[in-house]
Amino acid sequence: MKRLAIIVREDAYDRILTPLAFAYLGAASDMEVDILFVNWAARVLTKGGAENLKVSKEHEGSDEMIKAKVAEAGLPTDVYEIIKALKATGKVRMYVCSLAAQIFDVTKENLVPEAEDIVGATWFLLEKAQKADVVLTF
Amino acid sequence: MIEADEVLDVSGMACPMPIFRVKQALSKMEAGKVLKVIATDLGTRKDIPAWVKHTGNELLDMSEEDGKFIYLIKIREKS
Repeated sequence: MKRLAIIVREDAYDRILTPLAFAYLGAASDMEVDILFVNWAARVLTKGGAENLKVSKEHEGSDEMIKAKVAEAGLPTDVYEIIKALKATGKVRMYVCSLAAQIFDVTKENLVPEAEDIVGATWFLLEKAQKADVVLTF
Repeated sequence: MIEADEVLDVSGMACPMPIFRVKQALSKMEAGKVLKVIATDLGTRKDIPAWVKHTGNELLDMSEEDGKFIYLIKIREKS
Protein backbone atom coordinates (compact mmCIF):
# COMPACT_ATOMS: atom_id res chain seq x y z
CA MET A 1 0.00 0.00 0.00
CA LYS A 2 1.48 3.34 -1.07
CA ARG A 3 1.44 6.16 1.44
CA LEU A 4 0.92 9.88 0.94
CA ALA A 5 1.78 12.46 3.60
CA ILE A 6 0.50 16.02 3.29
CA ILE A 7 1.36 19.06 5.39
CA VAL A 8 -1.12 21.92 5.21
CA ARG A 9 -0.21 25.33 6.57
CA GLU A 10 -2.88 27.82 5.52
CA ASP A 11 -6.58 28.03 6.23
CA ALA A 12 -7.65 30.35 3.42
CA TYR A 13 -10.46 28.77 1.42
CA ASP A 14 -8.64 28.99 -1.90
CA ARG A 15 -5.42 27.59 -0.43
CA ILE A 16 -6.83 24.61 1.37
CA LEU A 17 -8.74 23.20 -1.60
CA THR A 18 -5.63 21.93 -3.36
CA PRO A 19 -4.24 19.79 -0.54
CA LEU A 20 -7.70 18.39 0.12
CA ALA A 21 -8.08 17.58 -3.58
CA PHE A 22 -4.78 15.69 -3.49
CA ALA A 23 -6.03 13.82 -0.44
CA TYR A 24 -9.14 12.83 -2.40
CA LEU A 25 -6.97 11.60 -5.25
CA GLY A 26 -4.65 9.68 -2.95
CA ALA A 27 -7.58 7.91 -1.34
CA ALA A 28 -9.11 7.15 -4.72
CA SER A 29 -5.76 5.70 -5.80
CA ASP A 30 -5.78 3.30 -2.84
CA MET A 31 -3.10 5.21 -0.97
CA GLU A 32 -3.08 5.65 2.78
CA VAL A 33 -3.18 9.41 3.33
CA ASP A 34 -1.97 11.23 6.43
CA ILE A 35 -2.46 14.99 6.70
CA LEU A 36 -0.84 17.21 9.31
CA PHE A 37 -2.55 20.57 9.79
CA VAL A 38 0.01 23.09 11.02
CA ASN A 39 0.01 26.82 11.72
CA TRP A 40 -3.28 28.55 10.78
CA ALA A 41 -4.63 25.40 9.17
CA ALA A 42 -4.93 23.79 12.61
CA ARG A 43 -8.14 25.76 13.16
CA VAL A 44 -9.79 24.02 10.22
CA LEU A 45 -10.10 20.85 12.29
CA THR A 46 -11.98 22.54 15.13
CA LYS A 47 -15.74 22.50 15.49
CA GLY A 48 -17.07 25.28 13.30
CA GLY A 49 -13.58 26.03 12.02
CA ALA A 50 -14.04 24.79 8.48
CA GLU A 51 -17.53 25.97 7.65
CA ASN A 52 -16.93 29.62 6.88
CA LEU A 53 -13.41 29.90 5.56
CA LYS A 54 -12.62 33.01 3.51
CA VAL A 55 -10.39 33.25 0.47
CA SER A 56 -6.90 34.65 1.01
CA LYS A 57 -6.62 38.39 1.49
CA GLU A 58 -4.90 38.96 -1.84
CA HIS A 59 -7.96 37.51 -3.59
CA GLU A 60 -10.48 39.16 -1.29
CA GLY A 61 -13.93 39.52 -2.78
CA SER A 62 -13.80 36.42 -4.92
CA ASP A 63 -15.45 34.07 -2.40
CA GLU A 64 -18.71 33.70 -4.29
CA MET A 65 -17.06 33.20 -7.67
CA ILE A 66 -14.69 30.54 -6.32
CA LYS A 67 -17.44 28.69 -4.47
CA ALA A 68 -19.63 28.69 -7.57
CA LYS A 69 -16.77 27.21 -9.60
CA VAL A 70 -16.05 24.64 -6.91
CA ALA A 71 -19.68 23.58 -6.99
CA GLU A 72 -19.53 23.32 -10.78
CA ALA A 73 -16.52 21.04 -10.44
CA GLY A 74 -18.59 18.72 -8.27
CA LEU A 75 -16.88 19.35 -4.94
CA PRO A 76 -18.80 20.34 -1.83
CA THR A 77 -18.34 24.09 -1.31
CA ASP A 78 -18.22 23.67 2.45
CA VAL A 79 -14.73 22.55 3.51
CA TYR A 80 -16.15 20.62 6.46
CA GLU A 81 -18.20 18.55 4.00
CA ILE A 82 -14.94 17.76 2.17
CA ILE A 83 -13.31 16.76 5.45
CA LYS A 84 -16.22 14.44 6.23
CA ALA A 85 -16.03 12.93 2.74
CA LEU A 86 -12.29 12.35 3.11
CA LYS A 87 -12.80 10.62 6.44
CA ALA A 88 -15.56 8.49 4.95
CA THR A 89 -13.12 7.03 2.41
CA GLY A 90 -11.46 5.16 5.27
CA LYS A 91 -8.09 6.05 3.73
CA VAL A 92 -7.47 9.52 5.12
CA ARG A 93 -6.28 10.43 8.60
CA MET A 94 -6.08 14.06 9.72
CA TYR A 95 -3.94 15.37 12.58
CA VAL A 96 -3.30 18.73 14.21
CA CYS A 97 0.26 19.74 15.06
CA SER A 98 0.61 20.17 18.82
CA LEU A 99 2.52 23.45 18.51
CA ALA A 100 -0.19 24.89 16.28
CA ALA A 101 -2.81 23.58 18.69
CA GLN A 102 -1.16 25.49 21.51
CA ILE A 103 -0.84 28.72 19.52
CA PHE A 104 -4.32 28.66 18.00
CA ASP A 105 -6.26 27.28 20.98
CA VAL A 106 -7.06 23.91 19.48
CA THR A 107 -7.83 21.29 22.12
CA LYS A 108 -8.94 17.67 22.03
CA GLU A 109 -12.33 18.90 23.20
CA ASN A 110 -12.91 21.27 20.28
CA LEU A 111 -11.56 18.98 17.54
CA VAL A 112 -14.04 17.74 14.98
CA PRO A 113 -14.68 13.99 15.28
CA GLU A 114 -13.07 13.42 11.88
CA ALA A 115 -9.68 14.50 13.26
CA GLU A 116 -7.54 11.70 14.67
CA ASP A 117 -5.58 13.57 17.30
CA ILE A 118 -3.23 16.39 18.25
CA VAL A 119 0.27 15.08 17.57
CA GLY A 120 3.87 16.17 17.72
CA ALA A 121 5.54 17.13 14.48
CA THR A 122 8.42 14.76 15.23
CA TRP A 123 6.05 11.80 15.30
CA PHE A 124 4.53 12.89 12.01
CA LEU A 125 7.97 13.41 10.49
CA LEU A 126 9.34 10.03 11.56
CA GLU A 127 6.26 7.83 11.39
CA LYS A 128 4.34 9.37 8.51
CA ALA A 129 6.40 11.69 6.31
CA GLN A 130 9.62 9.65 6.38
CA LYS A 131 7.76 6.43 5.64
CA ALA A 132 5.55 7.91 2.94
CA ASP A 133 6.09 7.30 -0.75
CA VAL A 134 5.03 10.85 -1.53
CA VAL A 135 5.16 13.95 0.67
CA LEU A 136 3.35 17.13 -0.33
CA THR A 137 3.52 20.45 1.49
CA PHE A 138 1.19 23.40 1.04
CA MET B 1 -17.90 -2.27 -30.44
CA ILE B 2 -17.41 -2.82 -26.72
CA GLU B 3 -20.62 -2.75 -24.72
CA ALA B 4 -20.54 -1.03 -21.34
CA ASP B 5 -22.32 -2.55 -18.37
CA GLU B 6 -22.72 0.81 -16.69
CA VAL B 7 -22.32 4.45 -17.66
CA LEU B 8 -20.94 7.21 -15.44
CA ASP B 9 -21.34 10.77 -16.67
CA VAL B 10 -19.04 13.21 -14.91
CA SER B 11 -19.44 15.97 -17.46
CA GLY B 12 -18.88 19.37 -15.93
CA MET B 13 -16.91 18.00 -13.01
CA ALA B 14 -13.25 18.85 -12.56
CA CYS B 15 -10.32 17.33 -10.69
CA PRO B 16 -10.49 15.56 -8.26
CA MET B 17 -14.15 14.59 -8.65
CA PRO B 18 -14.04 12.55 -11.90
CA ILE B 19 -11.46 10.16 -10.44
CA PHE B 20 -13.30 10.03 -7.13
CA ARG B 21 -16.58 9.19 -8.85
CA VAL B 22 -14.94 6.57 -11.06
CA LYS B 23 -13.43 4.97 -7.97
CA GLN B 24 -16.85 4.90 -6.29
CA ALA B 25 -18.53 3.44 -9.36
CA LEU B 26 -15.92 0.73 -9.89
CA SER B 27 -16.05 -0.34 -6.26
CA LYS B 28 -19.74 -1.22 -6.70
CA MET B 29 -19.21 -3.26 -9.88
CA GLU B 30 -18.19 -6.88 -10.33
CA ALA B 31 -14.86 -7.95 -11.76
CA GLY B 32 -14.82 -8.16 -15.54
CA LYS B 33 -17.60 -5.60 -15.99
CA VAL B 34 -17.05 -2.54 -18.14
CA LEU B 35 -17.71 1.03 -17.05
CA LYS B 36 -18.17 3.76 -19.62
CA VAL B 37 -17.08 7.15 -18.33
CA ILE B 38 -18.11 10.39 -20.01
CA ALA B 39 -16.07 13.44 -18.97
CA THR B 40 -15.38 16.98 -20.08
CA ASP B 41 -12.41 17.79 -17.83
CA LEU B 42 -9.30 18.00 -20.01
CA GLY B 43 -7.27 16.61 -17.11
CA THR B 44 -8.99 13.25 -17.40
CA ARG B 45 -7.13 12.53 -20.66
CA LYS B 46 -4.03 11.79 -18.60
CA ASP B 47 -5.59 11.24 -15.16
CA ILE B 48 -7.86 8.35 -16.07
CA PRO B 49 -5.27 6.28 -18.01
CA ALA B 50 -2.73 6.81 -15.19
CA TRP B 51 -5.26 5.98 -12.48
CA VAL B 52 -6.52 2.89 -14.31
CA LYS B 53 -2.96 1.60 -14.71
CA HIS B 54 -2.13 2.36 -11.07
CA THR B 55 -5.17 0.52 -9.75
CA GLY B 56 -4.70 -2.54 -11.95
CA ASN B 57 -7.82 -2.03 -14.01
CA GLU B 58 -7.82 -2.00 -17.79
CA LEU B 59 -8.51 0.88 -20.13
CA LEU B 60 -10.15 -0.76 -23.12
CA ASP B 61 -10.66 2.40 -25.11
CA MET B 62 -10.60 6.16 -24.97
CA SER B 63 -12.06 8.52 -27.51
CA GLU B 64 -13.41 12.01 -27.98
CA GLU B 65 -16.88 12.81 -29.26
CA ASP B 66 -18.35 16.29 -29.52
CA GLY B 67 -15.99 17.72 -26.91
CA LYS B 68 -16.58 14.87 -24.49
CA PHE B 69 -14.02 12.28 -23.51
CA ILE B 70 -15.22 8.69 -23.43
CA TYR B 71 -13.40 5.98 -21.49
CA LEU B 72 -14.16 2.28 -21.29
CA ILE B 73 -12.71 0.71 -18.17
CA LYS B 74 -12.73 -3.00 -17.41
CA ILE B 75 -12.79 -3.86 -13.72
CA ARG B 76 -9.91 -5.93 -12.40
CA GLU B 77 -10.33 -9.17 -10.51
CA LYS B 78 -11.01 -8.27 -6.89
CA SER B 79 -8.22 -9.29 -4.51
